[in-house]
Amino acid sequence: MFRVLLCGLTLAAWSIVEAAPVARSLVRIEATSQEPNYRTPWNPGEVGGGVGAGFVISGNRILTNAHVVSNARFLTVSKENDPKPYPARVLHIAHDCDLALLTVEDPGFFKGTQALEFGGIPEIESTVSVYGYPIGGSRLSVTRGIVSRIDFQPYSHSGMDSHLTIQIDAAINPGNSGGPVLQDGKVVGVAFQGYSGDVAQNVGYMIPTPVVLRFLKDVEDGTYDRYVDLAISYDSLVNPAARSALGLPDDDTGVLVGSVFGGGSSEGKVLTGDVLLAIDGLPVASDGTIEMDGKSVALAEVVERKFKGDTVKLKILRDRKPVDLEITLDQPWPFTLHANAYDEKPRFVVFGGLVFQPVDENFFSAFQPDDMRLRYVFDFFVEDRLYIDRPEIVVLSSVLADPINAYASEFRFSIVDEINGKKIRRLDDVAEAFAQPADYYVIRMLGSGRPIVLERKAVEEARERILTRYGVRREQNLTK
Amino acid sequence: MNVRRFSLALVFLPLLASAAASKPASSPQPRTGENSVVRVNSTNQSYDFFRPWMKKSPFTRRGLGAVIEGGRVLVTAELVGNHSYVELEKARSAEKAPAVVERVDYECNLAVLKPVDPAFLKELVPLELDSGAKVGDRASVLQVEPNGDIAETPGTLTSITIGAYPGDGMGLLIFRLSAPLQQRDGSFTLPAMRDGRLLGLLMRYDARSQVAEIIPPPVIRHFLKEHAKPVYGGFARAGLGFASTRDPQLRRYLGLQEPGGVYVTDILSDSSAEKSGLKKGDVILSVDGKPIDQDGNYDDPEFGRIPFSHLTNTVAHPGDTVVFRVLREGKTLDLPVKLEVRDRSKMLSEPFVMDRAPRYINLGGLVFLELSRPYLQEWGGSWPKEAPQRLVYYDTFQNEIPRERGKIVFLSQVLPSPDTIGYEQLENIVVKRVNGRDIRSLDDLAEAVKTPVDGFHRIEFEEDPYLIFLDAGSVERNSKALQEQYALPALQRL
Repeated sequence: MFRVLLCGLTLAAWSIVEAAPVARSLVRIEATSQEPNYRTPWNPGEVGGGVGAGFVISGNRILTNAHVVSNARFLTVSKENDPKPYPARVLHIAHDCDLALLTVEDPGFFKGTQALEFGGIPEIESTVSVYGYPIGGSRLSVTRGIVSRIDFQPYSHSGMDSHLTIQIDAAINPGNSGGPVLQDGKVVGVAFQGYSGDVAQNVGYMIPTPVVLRFLKDVEDGTYDRYVDLAISYDSLVNPAARSALGLPDDDTGVLVGSVFGGGSSEGKVLTGDVLLAIDGLPVASDGTIEMDGKSVALAEVVERKFKGDTVKLKILRDRKPVDLEITLDQPWPFTLHANAYDEKPRFVVFGGLVFQPVDENFFSAFQPDDMRLRYVFDFFVEDRLYIDRPEIVVLSSVLADPINAYASEFRFSIVDEINGKKIRRLDDVAEAFAQPADYYVIRMLGSGRPIVLERKAVEEARERILTRYGVRREQNLTK
Repeated sequence: MNVRRFSLALVFLPLLASAAASKPASSPQPRTGENSVVRVNSTNQSYDFFRPWMKKSPFTRRGLGAVIEGGRVLVTAELVGNHSYVELEKARSAEKAPAVVERVDYECNLAVLKPVDPAFLKELVPLELDSGAKVGDRASVLQVEPNGDIAETPGTLTSITIGAYPGDGMGLLIFRLSAPLQQRDGSFTLPAMRDGRLLGLLMRYDARSQVAEIIPPPVIRHFLKEHAKPVYGGFARAGLGFASTRDPQLRRYLGLQEPGGVYVTDILSDSSAEKSGLKKGDVILSVDGKPIDQDGNYDDPEFGRIPFSHLTNTVAHPGDTVVFRVLREGKTLDLPVKLEVRDRSKMLSEPFVMDRAPRYINLGGLVFLELSRPYLQEWGGSWPKEAPQRLVYYDTFQNEIPRERGKIVFLSQVLPSPDTIGYEQLENIVVKRVNGRDIRSLDDLAEAVKTPVDGFHRIEFEEDPYLIFLDAGSVERNSKALQEQYALPALQRL
């Protein structure tokens, strides 16, 4: 439904624009990217390209969207009044909030540019201007719109993160991505996603400054630590019976904690059935909102503005008694399974023509497997804590057909459970198991079914044949 | 279970009434079945599993039943599934008479009907069951013309195999007949004939490939024999799953010397196989003395190479013992397996619920059900993808879930009421405990709600939101209003 605003590479030359003030800050980014193909993980992937926008900020840096420069192999940036493309490189990239920082080695590039400054959250109904290089021409384009809505929204780049987002009614099109949204000469957002015309009209989204400033602060120490999360789910507490059974007064405060996700910041501290009354001293309303800067926002906004290692104070009612907790915030790892991954090489092991791969969102969108068991394990990986037994879901993803694996194709998309009696918890375990000398390699899949048996001698004989026939350039990759 | 799941590409039988059927050239030879078939009109009505207190709107299925000895009519179970009213109709005279369903078995897709007035079938000649049919034999399918004439479409028996039956996918013997059938009204059962005898009942027809699937004499004979017993047994199941041993690497690894044998991959809990000591990893070499090949077939003197499940579910009757010879860790063992019928009521999720109403409890507007496949099928043909995935998981992998788990009781929907404020969005979440009591059936739930804790029903789920409360007194006081508001005939059915 969401589309990412990156437009196809256009080769048209563009002429010099009369310098609007913002023109000194705006850059056009041309990216050449290489996206791995998870179906042939040994290949380097197809080369493609796109155009996006960015703008100069303090410290000779350029801010843009992560999706403009994801999987980039070569980047150039150009200024409005200077036809020369300058090679650029990524300093930091944050896929969870779709932001990236670039720089240009050539010191001449920043001469004459002006770093833009950031403003706050614009008022609803106020007017903003969007700058960028959207589809429909190659020169700078400006559109204007009003602020329609300020809300939490999913960020489609990662597919699983939601942050504060501002909806505007200006036309935002492919190529606007990464461009600044200005009000009174200050940046109030970064244009990043919209709906395609057949879903909704005049709906564009920008990343507001709290999210941008958080990113810039996070990278101050030289690394991006990602967003942190309480890793709990909660439900509203508006039912009078529930309130009274839990010993709560009729004052519309408090939410009921549902899941406390394993591996998350709150594990072992917050319990299912706790009532969350306040977060960092801010009372939590029974629908899960808090008052912050005069606005009513989701309680998660408190955590949104914090960093790895920061703490948050929770006031909780447990068995009718108040409990004060301090949670040190971290990023819970099992969740990343469901996020689109970028700038990673697919991992795999090929043995006897059998291709083994760990399952993640990229794998799923490449293969779209129908296998019911795999779908359950993938969908409920976090919720049912399946990662405890199996930190990685390793499957037989394809069979490179050869006489030695003639009877293995029925096991496609089965989850590998054991190889020669060794429990498979990660892809590395597969590589290790096959590295052990044995006469037979007995591969058992999760659930029922017979084992796949490969004879060592047969595998050795078939090895070159299979690699050559299928153009498999390497037999394994264990690093991202 | 012993048969790989069938893709149901075949059209489930109805050759729907379309425009006027074209008239085929009538055959000159005497019509063999004319005096032995009768039209069957069945008005059926199934329960709405989303609103289990209601039936869906009734619909009528029509078919052609075969008259058999004892003044009875044999039809497919599908024709009379969830019947409210069944009538027989003479093809030529259109004379009608009500009938009762004497026996129906959805696993083998067969039913026996009897007219309320036994005289109704008086002039009709009962058919005898065919035997000895071979692949390549000629046979014909009977249909009724709009004018009441019997049309006979000739065909050829092209294969004899084991296939999934519609009820719950049980693998039983099937005859495939290649015959160019016309679309005619009322085709939910059609008799197939060979040399004046009943070859079987047509249960599916694929119009594109012109292949009809027929319930053959061995299955019908088994069904009728069981029906004649004081207690109907049905079709037993060994309760195991197996895989082929075609892969020579697997055979060498298993040390398998014999040419055949299949690898046991599943033993269903509480099944005949489990009770007899069969284990996963055993290699079945022979059943009842008949050698089993690498794909699980044996050589049947009548039907050729067919899967051995025919021996355990159709040749043998419930209570019979069949000897399985297995290879286990290099040793050959003979295991007598006493064959039993699966008790569907004990399954975690029943594959079908026919001729009876689904159980439910409506507590203050929260509607609780026990999981069954018909509930999931309310999501339509692609229910495995569309229905709530946790419920689909429980249904699909129920054989791997310990028996002690009992039934899956879940909150199906909320009828908003003063007691359910804030719960309106909840649906399809699995109940774990109520008022401190583990819930393994709706009966447990009915017991649990008798003892609220401090005046509240404390309902715990396996998933978000994990915990909700109802005011027990208020639920009680509001129950009448709830029932009137939504026009509910009852607040529970157990």
